[in-house]
Amino acid sequence: MKLKKLLKWETSLVVILILELLIFGLINPNFLRISTLLYSINDFISICIIALFLTFVVITGGIDISVGSIIGLTSIVIGVLWKLGGMNIWLTLPIALLVGAACGAFSGFLIAFTGVQAMVVTLGGMLLYSGLSLVIMGVSGASAFEGISGMPDSFVQLANGSVMGIPNPFILFFILIVLSYLILHKTKYGRYIFLTGINKNSAKYCGVHTKWIIMSTYILSGMSAAVAGIILTSYLGSSRPDLGSEMTLSIVTAVVLGGTAITGGKGGVIGTAVASVIVGMMRFGLQMAGISTQYISVAIGLLLIIAVALRNAAGKDAFRRVIQKNKLKA
Amino acid sequence: MKRILLKLAKMREISAILFLIALFLIIGIINPIFLQGQNIMLTLKGSIMYVFLAAGMTFVILTKEIDVSVGAILGISAAVAATMLRNGNNIVLILLVTLLVGAAAGFINGFGVAKLGVPSIVMTLGTMGILRGLMFIYTGGKWVENLPDYFKKASQVEFLGINVFILITLTLIIMIQLYLSRARKGRFFAAIGDNIEGARLVGVPVNRMKITAFILAGIFSALAGLVYVSQVGFVGNVAGSGAEMTAIAACVLGGVSLQGGIGSVVGAAFGAIIMSSINTGLVFLKVPAYWNNTISGTLLILIVVVDALVQRHLSEKAKKQRLMARTSFVKEDVTIEA
Repeated sequence: MKLKKLLKWETSLVVILILELLIFGLINPNFLRISTLLYSINDFISICIIALFLTFVVITGGIDISVGSIIGLTSIVIGVLWKLGGMNIWLTLPIALLVGAACGAFSGFLIAFTGVQAMVVTLGGMLLYSGLSLVIMGVSGASAFEGISGMPDSFVQLANGSVMGIPNPFILFFILIVLSYLILHKTKYGRYIFLTGINKNSAKYCGVHTKWIIMSTYILSGMSAAVAGIILTSYLGSSRPDLGSEMTLSIVTAVVLGGTAITGGKGGVIGTAVASVIVGMMRFGLQMAGISTQYISVAIGLLLIIAVALRNAAGKDAFRRVIQKNKLKA
Repeated sequence: MKRILLKLAKMREISAILFLIALFLIIGIINPIFLQGQNIMLTLKGSIMYVFLAAGMTFVILTKEIDVSVGAILGISAAVAATMLRNGNNIVLILLVTLLVGAAAGFINGFGVAKLGVPSIVMTLGTMGILRGLMFIYTGGKWVENLPDYFKKASQVEFLGINVFILITLTLIIMIQLYLSRARKGRFFAAIGDNIEGARLVGVPVNRMKITAFILAGIFSALAGLVYVSQVGFVGNVAGSGAEMTAIAACVLGGVSLQGGIGSVVGAAFGAIIMSSINTGLVFLKVPAYWNNTISGTLLILIVVVDALVQRHLSEKAKKQRLMARTSFVKEDVTIEA
């Protein structure tokens, strides 16, 4: 029953996506070319990657609004270590991942072990991490406005290259969907995440280390932000501290639109994946339709509110119907 | 007298005030210029905008909701006010329209949360995006400049040696505090946040009060927008972006619990003054500006975490004491170690 309902929401998401593609295709026929569609993902891959793992956090009942600033921080770490530290750019990537994980671990630790609300901690985290990237820039003497550019070609190819005609970010996205799906829906750890979100106390009494589970989801979302930071840096060929600062709205929209309850305990990776493509395509499509970028946040904000309001209304209706049925039986 | 003192010591606002005094003293010791009356006034003046935002936010947080769109409301109402000022409209009309913009934005938030059942973080995140976009469209992405002098000078008018804006803010905060703690309706906000079902059962119009809270948050953000226009003198594209975070941080610092039901607007106002004096203080400490976010973020996390730990310690201690009192009553022969 529950699975059926979830599947239903995901099918309607796919329908929304197809409708969206058709509408944008009508406005601008170039939009529907396969290569355009395939390469469009470069524009919003960061949203997709982070949304997948932010789903984990939201299912436990938390939220992480610091992911956007972790993108900028990892980008700066890569740039500064490479340009000013003289490191091989490939060696900086594991360090960037570590930085992302550390940021996530820091927020996650405070949320899980001190009981301060996730919103407040990640709010502080957002200020802290975006501040740190400015500090690193400032201390190392690089200009925050120009960023660090001139990355080696092999690194730039990481995001701009393709394998058998399929762009690398697309392949990465696919791998991460499978990976996160397996983790969340096929492992004991995934079940624990759901259980923690549904009822933290009963999870605790069942012997689940809820604190570690909660902390680990933030580490995962921090690492996914680092991956997004790497891809974005490679795509642009330069590192800037303000990368990703505007993405929080889109990322949360993708997660919520994907059917994950912001109150926790319910949700899934597949929904998020489809929803993140919907959100990303909307950004990309509006740009291609020649609509100024300013309208995009209006569209995404509306999408977020309408989606949640409609889902709520549908949920309430179903609830009422069940109650009425029971009343009739009695 | 003793009872009043005891009550004072328990108040969460006190720790905010103590922290503020400590902050001023530390900065003052390193750079005594900071403690000159003129500079303290400057710091207070700079915090007015955040005091308004935090005051509006207090209503929302008391009902256990959150509003992350206040920065965007500030931005769009500032843009509207500035454009009308430039066009030479009547000042009364400008004030009315600006406050109406804020109230309308707040109403949309409240309607979505109370009537449509959208979680407030999602709803206000959505309206934040919408309002930011609308602001860009409204201003055409250009700065609104060349405002009439009389409005800019309004922020420098003094009465009895104190800036008029500070006096207005002070009066408003005292009025809100009295409303929230003394008026029947004012106490509904905290009642809803404390126990929504209970509030509903005793006849509190929950949905209407929630919408009211969001409208008030909108109006206060519009007021903050007016202050912004008057003090800054122009409206850029990013006016008020990130201000919502400062406002939430101010509330949390001032002891307004995000779990709803606990907190006062006085505390939130002190929190706002703390948040903006950190930034002003850093200037006096000659710390490069790029440190600002790192330091505010660290302080925010530090204060909130320490506060949570202290509160937990206190409640555990109280629980233990109650337990001990009970066990000693039941079994008198059992010795209890303190």
